[in-house]
Amino acid sequence: MPSTEALPLVVENLSFRYRDRDDPAIRDVSFELEAGKILLVAGASGCGKTTLIRCINGLIPRSYKGELSGRVLLHGQPTLPGGPGDTGGMPLSRISQIVGTVLQDPERQILGAHVFTEVAFGLENLGVPREEIVRRVDETLAYLGIAHLKNRETFYLSGGEKQKVAMAGTLAMRPSILLLDEPLASLDPASAEEALTLIRRLADEGKTVVIIEHRVEDVLKINPELSLFMVEGEVRYFGPTAGLEAAVDYHEVKLPAPMILEKARHDPPPIYARPRLAAARNGSAPGEACPERSRRVERPLVEFRDVFFAYEPETPVLQDINLSIQAGDVIAVLGPNGAGKTTLVKHAIGLLKPKQGQVLLEGTDTRELSVAQIAHTVGYVFQSPSHMLFAPTVREELAFGPQNLGFDQEAIERNVTAAVDILNLNGLEDYPPLGLSFGQQKRVSIAAILAMRSKILVMDEPTAGQDYKNYMAFMNAILGLPDFEAILFITHDVDLAVCYANRVLLVHQGTIAADGPPAEVLADFELLRRCRVVPTSLLATNLEYLPKTGRFMPAEALAHALADEPTRTEPRAPVL
Amino acid sequence: MLIAWRYRERDTIIQRLDPRARIIFMLAMLFSIIQFWDLRIMLLFLGVAALQFGLARLTWRETRRAWILISFIILFMTTLTFLTGRGGVATAYHEEHLIRRLGPLSLPIVGWQLHLDITAEKTIFALSQLTRMYAITTMAITIPYTVDPSLYGVTFRGLGLPDKFAYAMDLAFRFVPTLGRDFSITLDAQRARGYEVEKLSGGIVAQIRRLAPLLVPVTINAIVSAEDIIDAMDLRAFGVGPRTWVRKLTYRRADKVLIAASALVFAGSTVLAFMGFGRLWVPEALLRLATG
Repeated sequence: MPSTEALPLVVENLSFRYRDRDDPAIRDVSFELEAGKILLVAGASGCGKTTLIRCINGLIPRSYKGELSGRVLLHGQPTLPGGPGDTGGMPLSRISQIVGTVLQDPERQILGAHVFTEVAFGLENLGVPREEIVRRVDETLAYLGIAHLKNRETFYLSGGEKQKVAMAGTLAMRPSILLLDEPLASLDPASAEEALTLIRRLADEGKTVVIIEHRVEDVLKINPELSLFMVEGEVRYFGPTAGLEAAVDYHEVKLPAPMILEKARHDPPPIYARPRLAAARNGSAPGEACPERSRRVERPLVEFRDVFFAYEPETPVLQDINLSIQAGDVIAVLGPNGAGKTTLVKHAIGLLKPKQGQVLLEGTDTRELSVAQIAHTVGYVFQSPSHMLFAPTVREELAFGPQNLGFDQEAIERNVTAAVDILNLNGLEDYPPLGLSFGQQKRVSIAAILAMRSKILVMDEPTAGQDYKNYMAFMNAILGLPDFEAILFITHDVDLAVCYANRVLLVHQGTIAADGPPAEVLADFELLRRCRVVPTSLLATNLEYLPKTGRFMPAEALAHALADEPTRTEPRAPVL
Repeated sequence: MLIAWRYRERDTIIQRLDPRARIIFMLAMLFSIIQFWDLRIMLLFLGVAALQFGLARLTWRETRRAWILISFIILFMTTLTFLTGRGGVATAYHEEHLIRRLGPLSLPIVGWQLHLDITAEKTIFALSQLTRMYAITTMAITIPYTVDPSLYGVTFRGLGLPDKFAYAMDLAFRFVPTLGRDFSITLDAQRARGYEVEKLSGGIVAQIRRLAPLLVPVTINAIVSAEDIIDAMDLRAFGVGPRTWVRKLTYRRADKVLIAASALVFAGSTVLAFMGFGRLWVPEALLRLATG
């Protein structure tokens, strides 16, 4: 092993407590990383992953104040103030040339109005001569395969393009260490796959990469050499990635389906809530279609008829949309960034009206209804919780919707209490929602809509920013509720569709590319590829066993469903 | 993420000018306009502003939302000045000729009772104020729609501001449309929870409280976004020393002519104002109406 001095990144006994918190965010974190290696950092929300990144890139203690101890060495040089011979720490200008950081949401990182100025920003700040900046920007864009974006406005880029531009802005400064904080969180599956391929290539060319990611299964595809698993601010496991499987609880970290199959066989069967609204009404379950009989008899809850929509006349966002949402439907809406998924569901709540065609809500044209009237029938959870939370306490936040809809006080209290239970917000009722973590805010935003008891629940990326354990728990709880007549969720997580949906809508370039039962739509890999949806190991495993199981299910449930055939559940390499 | 104004590249006389020359022109016009109250001079400036707007080939469609907001603010301020009579008495006129007395009138929302004296001076002052504000905004509104957003920072640097202030101006320019977008998302999110902003009721304090579902998320988001921006800037070494501005601006002949003309207009206006020209002009017809 190389000497400590030569290693690009060494973290020694690092602890940090934020000034306004009682407990340390991280405690005694130590690890070393060689050049050309990838370190995967996994752990539940709030386990200290982002704090660790901030300590390495210098934002702690410069921007975030608190109690700090331990050392971070970059190529043998200490970066943090304190310790023997303290010189006040390494200046941020120096750190930023060694360590490049790509944040979870590229929108939070991109500063430039155009791609060229965005990528040039760091070099401009370092006072690099103009000709050199132009050369390095061109080189970086070409390296990432996005030279064609050079003169584009950053705002109009797709999620995947924004992520690459954010990375270009970092790479142009030629850091030797890359810190990636959940770089896949806002990407569609195909963009995530491209980003991962790029990350592997960067490591293979000598960069040292630290990647924080909830989507562990995805990162494992690029074979990170080392993994670090954190629980409540402490390192639970650090070592070769091969050892991660044994160290983590598969309920907390999402592992590839074959690994879970093997581990779950030895555990008691999971308590897995089959969607009650669908199952109870139609006897259908994930992976199965709702019986045709019920569709013909009942009037659709929502019906799109030849819907066309465009913000600018020359660029249609939706066209030829014909679909009906029936009682009992649990619909997963899949598709790439910018395909029109959010625009589609905004028509269902009446926030947008079609330019041509009709959207009918229980037979009434949404043009004749106010959004507030529609809210009685359709509850819509927005993607970003910070755009809706305002009340001084969680309790008041959850009561806001029902009050607007004219519920009596008793009903409001009942609904609020139920929503708190379902979203695991007990104990937080009197906290200000805006003071909670992102994951908790997201749960409050879902609870706020649940408390309205609308007939149809619509969720836009409900699991974004949530750790695996939390989102599986609340998805189970929500899908287990008998209150909703239909549920529709937009997601990039194919496994969410596999586990919970009985119908999949594939949206691509403003049209519906496919609409049908998951077992049918998700089995067409060529169609998925065209729509930038990447099959997962859970999907592949479910498809493999579908003739025996008859339906899709989570890996834990699948392990027990196959318990009679132990030879079929031997661990295999991920199919993908 | 900060978003830019809806900029579209057009081959117009206005867009071919150096943005620094255009800012100098706008400032010269602004500081010239505010030296006068004479409606006829205001109309002259409004004409120049309209000419600039026309030469920029901006359309009503692309600027509609900005005009609606600006018109709301201008009309609100002018009406308030007209109703209260404040502003003009001290600055533009010292005696008034009564045309008609109305009242008592009950003001909506606040419920105040007031008598309204319509005088010749107050009326013409309101018209001058309206024209002055439209002239200034027409002059300014073309800037965000016709200056390439990637040139904001270097423009202000080229006008002599230090690096940090120049970049702060760049960010500030883009903050306005970003705030507008955030407001729109929050409004949609709250409407989806049955909130109806148009059904606000009660006294002024109660109404402001009822606006909390809109104002709190937008404000908090603005603060959080500002922190994100600072982090992103810090991570890329902003402010560590003198920076290079990769985009380069060069004055051409037309720019120099425009700057010279701007200086001339400003100097001429200052001299005329100093000599007493351009004070509030009340048409004879209005005075006859008052005295007759």
